[in-house]
Amino acid sequence: MDNTKILGILYETIYAEHGSALEMLAACKQAKSSSLAFGYFEHSKDEYNHTKTFRKILSNKTSGINTSELRRFRITPQGLIRKGYVSQNGYLVENMSLKNFIAYVYTNELLAESSFSKIVKLLGANTEEGRSVMKIMEDELRHHGKAKEYFLRYFPFLQPWQLSLYKLRESIKNKGRKFYHSNIALLEHIFYPLYSLFALIISRLLKSLNLKEFKRSNKNLMDINYKSIL
Amino acid sequence: MFIGISAYNHESAIALVDNNGNLIDYYREESLSRIKGDKSFPKRALKRIFNIHNLNTDAIEKVIFYEKPLSAFLFPLKEASKFIPESMQLIVNQIRNFKKSSLSCYLDIAKEKPGLEKKLIYIDHHLSHTLTTLFYSDYQNDVCSIVVDGFGDRSTTSISYVRDKYNIKELWSSSYPNSIGLYYSSITDFLGFTINEGEYKVMGLSAYGDSNSKEAKLVNKLMKWDSFNNKIILDLEFFSFYKSITDSYGSKLISMLGEPRNPFAKLLPGDLTFQKYANIARGAQDSTNNVLSKIFNYAHSITRSENFLFSGGVALNSASVNYISELDFVNKLIVPPSPGDSGAAIGASLYGYLKSKNVKCIEKPSLYPSNYSCYDQYEAISKLLDKNYILVTDNHIDSIELACRLIKEGEVIGTIISNSETGPRALGNRSLICNGANSKSVKKLNNLIKDRSPFRPTAPAMKKETAYKYFELNPAVMSSYKTMTATCKCKKDSISLSFPTTHVDGTARIQIVEEETILWELLDKLIIEGIDIIANSSLNISGDPTCFDLIDGLMVCSITPLKYLLTDIGMIKKR
Ligand SMILES: [Fe+2]
Ligand SMILES: [Fe+2]
Ligand SMILES: [Fe+2]
Repeated sequence: MDNTKILGILYETIYAEHGSALEMLAACKQAKSSSLAFGYFEHSKDEYNHTKTFRKILSNKTSGINTSELRRFRITPQGLIRKGYVSQNGYLVENMSLKNFIAYVYTNELLAESSFSKIVKLLGANTEEGRSVMKIMEDELRHHGKAKEYFLRYFPFLQPWQLSLYKLRESIKNKGRKFYHSNIALLEHIFYPLYSLFALIISRLLKSLNLKEFKRSNKNLMDINYKSIL
Repeated sequence: MFIGISAYNHESAIALVDNNGNLIDYYREESLSRIKGDKSFPKRALKRIFNIHNLNTDAIEKVIFYEKPLSAFLFPLKEASKFIPESMQLIVNQIRNFKKSSLSCYLDIAKEKPGLEKKLIYIDHHLSHTLTTLFYSDYQNDVCSIVVDGFGDRSTTSISYVRDKYNIKELWSSSYPNSIGLYYSSITDFLGFTINEGEYKVMGLSAYGDSNSKEAKLVNKLMKWDSFNNKIILDLEFFSFYKSITDSYGSKLISMLGEPRNPFAKLLPGDLTFQKYANIARGAQDSTNNVLSKIFNYAHSITRSENFLFSGGVALNSASVNYISELDFVNKLIVPPSPGDSGAAIGASLYGYLKSKNVKCIEKPSLYPSNYSCYDQYEAISKLLDKNYILVTDNHIDSIELACRLIKEGEVIGTIISNSETGPRALGNRSLICNGANSKSVKKLNNLIKDRSPFRPTAPAMKKETAYKYFELNPAVMSSYKTMTATCKCKKDSISLSFPTTHVDGTARIQIVEEETILWELLDKLIIEGIDIIANSSLNISGDPTCFDLIDGLMVCSITPLKYLLTDIGMIKKR
């Protein structure tokens, strides 16, 4: 596999791990008990450390690739929201019931673990990088176990099979998300000429629009109409 | 009460001014969301302000947005439309993302606090900046305000004259895309740093550069002041930010300077390519200083003013602030603690107050306006404290005593003390501190804990008399030394030249600490022990926003070698 493909996978993984670190931190701050807060804190700490490890691996993989290519893989905190790793509507705990949140953690840790095993294959299980990712996989399994424990403790009427149902639901959602994104990409491709035409018309209009009228030279800025958006 | 909002372009923020004109609360959204540079609508900040002050929408007289949304939307689009088809992607993108632009402010407020949107008003962007600065200024009449940023809602730089707080007349402006801020950001991008975050690194790097080098001269030439027409002229052929969503600089810049720097490579003094990149940074800094001095000169010539307010993102450049303060006609130069867009929410809220019925005088705001106490989270973290930490002291006097002892022994300490600063500078309440004369401690702070670029020094904090002893202080920017918004030179042959907090060019971004602050208390005791300088950096992990609450602080302890956290509840030690 070529290096840019590995970079692409690591790039997405860093966002995903950073996103989980923040989700867990938010959950820690909203937790109803100090033992729940402790659990989420420790989980968040692990995710921060995972982010750091993946960042290091990504940096190591950049040698020999030209800079204009590399610019695509720059990580910015803003990307978390732009790429949807943190929802624009807020963190999961800000919008979800505790039950759904724990179920989400339960399934996502498993899904993370399985996607990391693919990364280990790419990096090589015998390399130092491969080994550090395997360590991360152990963490994810532990998180998964903890979430299951919580789930059964706080919602004892739920049976393990119901958790599997949750898992199925989440995996379908995840797959759906991927399908949705690839579809969106396709639609973008099809509709781009249409958008462009629209942009062309708008730019024509803009060209004839005289914004000079809104110059503020020699105006008292305190007296400008505050209801106006222009 | 009056709520000021800044959002959608740079770090978003909310400010709250009460009916007596006092700034009583302020939050950057990034402090609460923990996403650095978070520019989304500040819903968490808004919610927190309502919760903490027990507000309902009736208590709010006006909500003031810090720019005119339609202008902010149209000006860049109009410019881009000149470059079709090259700019097609940008135009499509702008139009499709209008929901993430200022235009959706009304809807976002309505979604978060139904009813509040009816109180929304909009003010000129550069006026927001000017009012923020005026809030912190001793001079509120007959002073000239200069605002320099990337792009506001119609201009990139402006000069206005403040006769008094109700008479602020704009005299000159520079139109988009001729922008000092966007020029500096493009070079930041070329040097492999992130735009809106890495500009500090460029400034730090420039101290290693040579103004007479080929690279510095080439970069310097790209932005000029046309003294005949009094205009900023940017050589647009070398840049792309006005026509592309992905590239800030053009292929012509690459042909002139060679490959841009690999953003993932470490940049270390002494490396093969280090000097080249330092020279490029030098060129950008020289050009910025030069054009800024021309603008100030022009402002002086048309207003005869010797007192200036300086704000906008470019005023974050503390080396430039120092440069301008040395111009011979500058008597006073006032820079607010948060001169960028997030601070502009403060000016916007002040506008609401000034337009209300019962205006008295305006009180200078506290440097620590964001309400918080560690006791709020004491219960919540009890298990975490039990398991991983020890509360070594539980009263203030013992904690200060212990902190001094640890600093003397070379330890680095984090602080989470009551209210937080506006940012971006940590002034002691959300800081990492250590003995500023101890190279080993400063190195530990920089490398192990902060993972900071080695070419950026940590700032020194001290009492006023110490500052006079070591540094050449400029009376024009005395207020800036309190908020770390200006650098200054070490005295000739002074021992301060060898301090680990001094930059390679013999300057330091000093902080003169105010009385009744945590750093003052520490220095009071440390001076007796022979330590008169504390190295002070913001408490955060590299790439994260400055810590806001106790849990953020404990997280830094947990994932870095930081061992001690000085808090409201006492000194916390990692097990
Ligand atoms: Fe993880
Ligand atoms: Fe995990
Ligand atoms: Fe601005």
